[in-house]
Amino acid sequence: MVKLKPINRKEAALYLGYGKNEPDEVIKNLMDECEGPLMDACHPAFSFGVFDILTCSEEKIVLSECTLTLTGKDIGKLLRGCSKAVLFAATLGSGVDALLRKLQITNMPKALLTDAMAGAAIEQICNDFQEDLQARFPNMQQTMRYSPGYGDLPLDLQKDLLATLEAGKRIGLSVTESNMLTPLKSVTAIIGLRDIEEEERLNRLKDALASGADINAELSIGNCGKEACEGCAYAAKCHRGDRKE
Amino acid sequence: MKSKIQILDGGMGTQLQALGLPLGGIPEVWNITEPDKVIRVHEGYLAAGSDVVYTNTFGANRYKMAASGYTVRELIGAAVRNARKACFAHPGTKVALDIGPIGKMLAPLGDLSFEEAYDIFAEEIEAGAEADLIVIETMSDLYETKAALLAAKERSDKPVYVTMSFEANARTFTGTSIDCMALTLSGLGADAIGFNCSLGPEELAPMVKRLYEITELPIVLKPNAGLPDPVTNTYNVSPDEFADCIAELLPYGIAAVGGCCGTTPEYIRALKKRVDAFLSEEKEYDLPGKTKLTGICSSTDAVWFSEPRVIGERINPTGKKKFQEALRAGDMDYILSQAVSQVEAGADILDVNVGLPGVDEKEMMVRVVRELQAVVNVPLQIDSNIPEVVEAALRAYNGRALVNSVNGEEKSLAGILPIVRKYGAAVVGLTLDEGGIPKQAEGRFAIAKRIVERAEALGIRRRDIQIDCLTLTASAEQEAVKETLTALKMAREQLGTGAVLGVSNISFGLPNRDLVNSTFLTLALQNGLTLPIMNPNSEAMMGALRAYRLLMNIDEHAIAFTEAYKNFVPQKAEAKPGAEIPVGAVQDETEGKIRAQFGDAPAELYAAVLSGRAERGEKLTVELLKTMDSMDLVNGVLIPALDTVGAGFEKGTVFLPQLILSASVVQGAFGRIKEHMQSTGMKQVSKGEIVLATVKGDIHDIGKNIVKVLLENYGFTVHDLGKDVPPEAVVEAAKKTGAPLVGLSALMTTTLGSMEETIRALKAAGLSCKTVVGGAVLTPEYAKSIGADYYGSDAKATVDIAKEVFGC
Repeated sequence: MVKLKPINRKEAALYLGYGKNEPDEVIKNLMDECEGPLMDACHPAFSFGVFDILTCSEEKIVLSECTLTLTGKDIGKLLRGCSKAVLFAATLGSGVDALLRKLQITNMPKALLTDAMAGAAIEQICNDFQEDLQARFPNMQQTMRYSPGYGDLPLDLQKDLLATLEAGKRIGLSVTESNMLTPLKSVTAIIGLRDIEEEERLNRLKDALASGADINAELSIGNCGKEACEGCAYAAKCHRGDRKE
Repeated sequence: MKSKIQILDGGMGTQLQALGLPLGGIPEVWNITEPDKVIRVHEGYLAAGSDVVYTNTFGANRYKMAASGYTVRELIGAAVRNARKACFAHPGTKVALDIGPIGKMLAPLGDLSFEEAYDIFAEEIEAGAEADLIVIETMSDLYETKAALLAAKERSDKPVYVTMSFEANARTFTGTSIDCMALTLSGLGADAIGFNCSLGPEELAPMVKRLYEITELPIVLKPNAGLPDPVTNTYNVSPDEFADCIAELLPYGIAAVGGCCGTTPEYIRALKKRVDAFLSEEKEYDLPGKTKLTGICSSTDAVWFSEPRVIGERINPTGKKKFQEALRAGDMDYILSQAVSQVEAGADILDVNVGLPGVDEKEMMVRVVRELQAVVNVPLQIDSNIPEVVEAALRAYNGRALVNSVNGEEKSLAGILPIVRKYGAAVVGLTLDEGGIPKQAEGRFAIAKRIVERAEALGIRRRDIQIDCLTLTASAEQEAVKETLTALKMAREQLGTGAVLGVSNISFGLPNRDLVNSTFLTLALQNGLTLPIMNPNSEAMMGALRAYRLLMNIDEHAIAFTEAYKNFVPQKAEAKPGAEIPVGAVQDETEGKIRAQFGDAPAELYAAVLSGRAERGEKLTVELLKTMDSMDLVNGVLIPALDTVGAGFEKGTVFLPQLILSASVVQGAFGRIKEHMQSTGMKQVSKGEIVLATVKGDIHDIGKNIVKVLLENYGFTVHDLGKDVPPEAVVEAAKKTGAPLVGLSALMTTTLGSMEETIRALKAAGLSCKTVVGGAVLTPEYAKSIGADYYGSDAKATVDIAKEVFGC
């Protein structure tokens, strides 16, 4: 069972357009009244899978043991240097949709606040998951969460992503014809995992490049530990491939 | 003698994955491309002892198979042939057509209609006509399950097993409880019901025991091999542990048993051994009794008729002008708010009557039932005596409903009862017939008896019949009151049915109606009334019911009673209501002007709007209407208040929640003003008509609803078409209303296309209306590029646009 922490009010206020301002007492009190029913309506659940990245080129990422391929330049950039990709789907459940429908009939101000607070709640579920993920993979560094529809990662991916995670069966999550997630308060995302050592190596490489140093010397060419140059961000600058010839 | 227990098979997906099917691959395609591997899985189970194998068609519906390159007919046809081939070597074994969820959510959660879902399932069922039985499994949405079961019953005569997937909290993902599942599916004619997937046998054990107590149907059980490890995806229960755990459950009415995710032929082999041992042993089990009660339900809440239950009477246009107007205008918000307020006041069930001249009752009934079920959880009583209306409502209903009503007339018996039987509803039987309402109790009892006999002959259970001995008005037929009570008692005692009464009729034409109503309610309860139809907002009647429940020891330890009256203060005759906290002055320029022109109370109303004090605002409005012209109140106080809040919003000193809070104060005040104008016969002036819709494909409509509240605040008449609205419907509404402005909202980039399409359709229809568009991803440039006349950046901006269009 996924536990829900108290709602992050600051996050909710942000969604409501408060920016750096704080809601006044009237609104704060209303938020207090909204929190109980929202918590009762939430049945948070998530599903995830950790996959090895087989190839990661500019346009296409192929994962192990599943049929899903990720396309687009932006996801390629995100996953550069990552050895694993985590597919993730989370939802607050359909009870929240029902609560929001009811509130829109009976109390619009509360509907608006509850909607924003539910947004903060699902964000919290995602953050908690990422903490948990870190504990499972202590030597790996996570990329940001990246969702279908961001940048040039197609939204059409939703259906296949959910199928890969069996999200319908496991957490009751599906998409509409226009790729909207149902229940409404749900998130799907891709998170890259890269070895922290690999990360440090990449940083050294970056620094070396920036200072105009000879990166071949820096990394003792051909000894980078990678099996193939394909997908390596520095393939063009590095001469491992040349040396092999 | 124990009856046979069928051994079902185990997991299919995991077995196919072991044979090389990748994660996310389409298992059903293998029916055609790798039939030998599919047959090998079936053979594995048959060799292990399965009597029934499920075809490899869990996802073989037209939605999930869209990208497979094959038709549903091809995939299912091949699957049935594969299963049949495997069964040849095992005489007596059977092929079950496996039907899983569609993979899309039904409205109101998603965008799939009930009718579409039915068609999808019907196609699967017809494609699998060669199977020996049908299994509908892994369902979590009761409504989708109903669509599948209806399709199975209407398109096939094979037995149907239905199993749903429950979470650890004993509910499905969409909140359906075991009770709701049992009431609904047994009503609809499932041959066996039960559980599969999601949990292991240990977690499902208490749920099996609960189901055993509340259903007369055989139980099907197909658990997972325990719970999966989230990373490795392996299950944690061994074949022997699995079988041992299920062995404990076999006495609880289990008629078919197998495994789901993570189970293999090893699990089935172990299970077969336990089942054989159970069937041959001669041991008596001490089992709990089966319930003698009946009940009705929505998809989430079951109401058992174990004690008096309140049926709310307010959704009914009879004698209610406001309700009639709402029905004629299709104003769902009003109808829904009536529903919510009754539920909040304690209604267990809501009566739904939408019969009104000039309104298509069938269409309206279906619409209202669906809208109600999206907002309230209590079960509904379908109130109509027209068979077509009742059937359409029962078909659209999610759960098990109560039908109000059949009566002793031949036409009614022949028209209503078969529908009640088909959809498995409970039914109210009115004790009147061609000869009217018999004066004496005996006459009414005789009709009740006839109704029961006719219903039972069709297979409707006696306990599902609720006899209504009819309340006549005491002021007109004083001597008839006793007859009603006597007939009620006779029906309860001699027929063993439940009893319904419309209580409030009794006091028609009398003063102090609450007193008469609550006294009559108590008398009727004492004579066996189980389902009073009444106004739950009447404190006197609810109080009488609470006291009755307390005195009859139904409300044990008076828990509900003390909870209801914990803050009770006896009212003294001369008691004055507590002083109200006035709203502090806001002291801005506008307030000063209002105070100077209209006085202190209007200035306070102005302040109440600004500070979001809804109750105070309504009270002040009621007071002010006694002395002040309503148009002055609107244009001199309320609109200036909204303008002040709106200006603050634009400056960034007032935020959206405050704007909406103020808008809701004005909404409340408007409600009072409208009532006042109606009662004084004044014509209401609308600033103009606007059509609003969230476009096709889009199901996020909170933004549009906010815009609606604000537009109504400013006196515009809004025709709200809801969400996921096709272009044709927008065109039709624009034509019908002649609205000069159409507002469209879309949340996501994927639905902007249908926004553009809608604007194009409006233009193609030759309509001269202007369009305003809004939504999170829209920009002024984009709005222009799709041909919209205006871009509404937020609710306030949209109001300003409307003012411009209407020149006010």
